[in-house]
Amino acid sequence: MSEEPPEPAPVEDRDRELAAMLALSQRSRARLERLYDVLNSPGHYGVGATPTTVVYRENKLRLLRLVDEHGQPRAGPPVLFVPAPVSRYFIIDLLPGRSFAGHVAAAGFDVFIADFGTPTSEDRFCDLEYYVEGLVRRCVRTVSALTQRPAINIVGYCLGGTLSLLYSALHPETVARLVLLTTTVDGDVEGGIAWVAHKMGLAGESYDQPRLVPAAEVKSWFEMLSPGSNSLVGRVRDLWERLDDPPERLRDIRTMATWVDDVVPAPGRLLAELYQKFGPGKNALMAGTATVGSQLIDSTKITMPVMSVSAEKDTISPPEGVDAIRRIVPHADVVRLPGGHVGIVAGRAASGLWKRTVEFLAAGSTAVEGP
Amino acid sequence: MVEEEPKPEPTLVDRWVEEQQQWQKTLLTYFDSLGKNEEFLVHLGNAMRGSLLAGKPYPRSDAAAAAAPETPADDRLDSILHALHKIEGQLTDLRLTVDELKDSVKKRKDKKKRKDKDKDEDEDEE
Repeated sequence: MSEEPPEPAPVEDRDRELAAMLALSQRSRARLERLYDVLNSPGHYGVGATPTTVVYRENKLRLLRLVDEHGQPRAGPPVLFVPAPVSRYFIIDLLPGRSFAGHVAAAGFDVFIADFGTPTSEDRFCDLEYYVEGLVRRCVRTVSALTQRPAINIVGYCLGGTLSLLYSALHPETVARLVLLTTTVDGDVEGGIAWVAHKMGLAGESYDQPRLVPAAEVKSWFEMLSPGSNSLVGRVRDLWERLDDPPERLRDIRTMATWVDDVVPAPGRLLAELYQKFGPGKNALMAGTATVGSQLIDSTKITMPVMSVSAEKDTISPPEGVDAIRRIVPHADVVRLPGGHVGIVAGRAASGLWKRTVEFLAAGSTAVEGP
Repeated sequence: MVEEEPKPEPTLVDRWVEEQQQWQKTLLTYFDSLGKNEEFLVHLGNAMRGSLLAGKPYPRSDAAAAAAPETPADDRLDSILHALHKIEGQLTDLRLTVDELKDSVKKRKDKKKRKDKDKDEDEDEE
């Protein structure tokens, strides 16, 4: 007995299926066309958004001074931004209209940014003292000389905050106000980049025979912080979904992604020292045993006003480890903001942090008006 | 006067055919850029890794390892370069200190000049 052929689907059903497939095809093509436009657009990445002049150079470091549309620096009190030396500086001056440093400059402050540059082979020997007593100290001295102010404001971000904190303890008379952004103080708080690096073998970094830790390896530590969303499949899927966004938004995302994915190699000696002193189980800042070179860090010397900001959803510097500053600097103004490690500084809701920072800095000066 | 007949709505099949032609155009644009623009190739490679990183390839362990050894066999040159960078910094410190001293001497002289001037003026008044 032969089987009867299946009845053809009703015409309406076929049309509905065809229309759905057509819509899917059009949507996918529109995404690809948007991707094409974004990949071909020059965008704004790799450099800061605000005009600057270079006022000091040393090794790979450039000290940038923000200038106005006439090429002139602002007349207000000086503020030095110290970003993390293991990432690119322009996260604090990301896009026109979305620049932390630009916002502070618009409030009338004379803003400087330390761009540590990209380390090369010989920089693997750079240690904590080289950064704190060398580069950061000379940046402060240069800013001080240029602005004729004996004490300046410092804003340190992430590891740049650690350098700023150590510097402020060693040279408190040169710091008017200190802002620490997502700066881990308690290394025993589980999670974050220090713990991931610990689990991935940072303990093996040698202080005496340091290597230049490749950017890809540094990147892999950050990827480990949220392995699901950072898997290849997860990342491609996220990008594909985002291609429905308008082109202007995609260009912003591209600028941010360029910062996130453009990590720089790290000096092995610096990482080894940071791990040996501040890493999990060491915690020298909390224990009061931290040193820079042969100098002991005495946190009671940090007498200038301090504001420390943590981010609620920070996976790189867990907020509990950041807020622990109140245990070593009891007068610190501890603030926790909604958002992640990068988002609070350069995300769409970053204006909350910018406003708080300007208010804090302006409180120490009558010469500056808030925006 | 003859009225123009309104164009009939394209059928689904017509729209499918047109969509296929659009796909061909889109893909040709991609192939064209891939052949002509090396940077586009890099950026597309990054996008295929889920990244919109611009200007350079996405950091990959194998590429980094192939590009440069982590620790050169002979690190004496690097040690010398590092020492030179430290000396460069010390020289800057020296320059900054000299500038500070000059500045303070100038300020002291200016203060003394002002004081002398005030003294002279007082004497003249007397």
